[in-house]
Amino acid sequence: MRIKLTSLIVDDQDRALRFYTEVLGFRKKHDIPVGEFRWITVTSPEGRDDLELVLEPNANPAGKAFQEAMFSQGIPLAAFEVADIAREYARLDAAGVAFTRKPTPTGPVVLAVMADTCGNLIQLYQPTE
Amino acid sequence: MFLRHEGFRRLCSARDALKDYYDPPSIAELAREVGISPYHFIRQFEAVFGITPHQYRIRVRLDRARTLLATGYSVTRVCMEVGFTSLGSFSALFSRRGGEPPSNYRRRVLRLPPDRRDLHLTPGCLSLLGHLPAATRHEVGRNFEEAGDRPRV
Repeated sequence: MRIKLTSLIVDDQDRALRFYTEVLGFRKKHDIPVGEFRWITVTSPEGRDDLELVLEPNANPAGKAFQEAMFSQGIPLAAFEVADIAREYARLDAAGVAFTRKPTPTGPVVLAVMADTCGNLIQLYQPTE
Repeated sequence: MFLRHEGFRRLCSARDALKDYYDPPSIAELAREVGISPYHFIRQFEAVFGITPHQYRIRVRLDRARTLLATGYSVTRVCMEVGFTSLGSFSALFSRRGGEPPSNYRRRVLRLPPDRRDLHLTPGCLSLLGHLPAATRHEVGRNFEEAGDRPRV
């Protein structure tokens, strides 16, 4: 058993693909139409090519309610590790990304929280130890 | 753009208020609630939610319209239920955003067998993986078979 796929529900798959590739810098791996929706996955150019993040359509009312509640409570639904969080914060801030938490030392990491424009808060973290 | 906790919380409240189909608040009213100018309200809303408040309001109404059409409501009734007063405006907007008129959408979805309808309308987590077109399965499957444990860098 291996961890190969993990997913984020997104409220707009087109916008999500643009954000995760053009703004964050991930690479599109798959974009396959399935019925009304698409099977879209991205990978990190700094990580393994076979570890994919699925950008899932948020059409299920239960998923929508969950996503909105977590968002309103300020809770991130995914976390990405970065090598230099100050540099990433500056780069993404300049690109217009909205942050709800600036880089903040917290235990063994420095973390920041941003909105992905698709209904999720995402945590960025840099290990300090 | 950095949003303090209170500003973020108010933006989320504004998002929720935009879901009122029948008596939606104006942008000016929402901006006042958030405590910023309409210009900054629209700018911050778009940075957080990816679309303007006006676009968000339309999306919520059209999403609800799709759900109701799929349960068999008539186009006219759906139009009223989601707060449109003109059937023409509703149909035109629905067509522009969804690529087909609401009557076509309703007919097409209601024709689907029930087990396919759920996949089309409310796919569950990762369930799309089981419904990839046959021609693409090899491509996706190969990733699972060949990737092994090789690090890319």
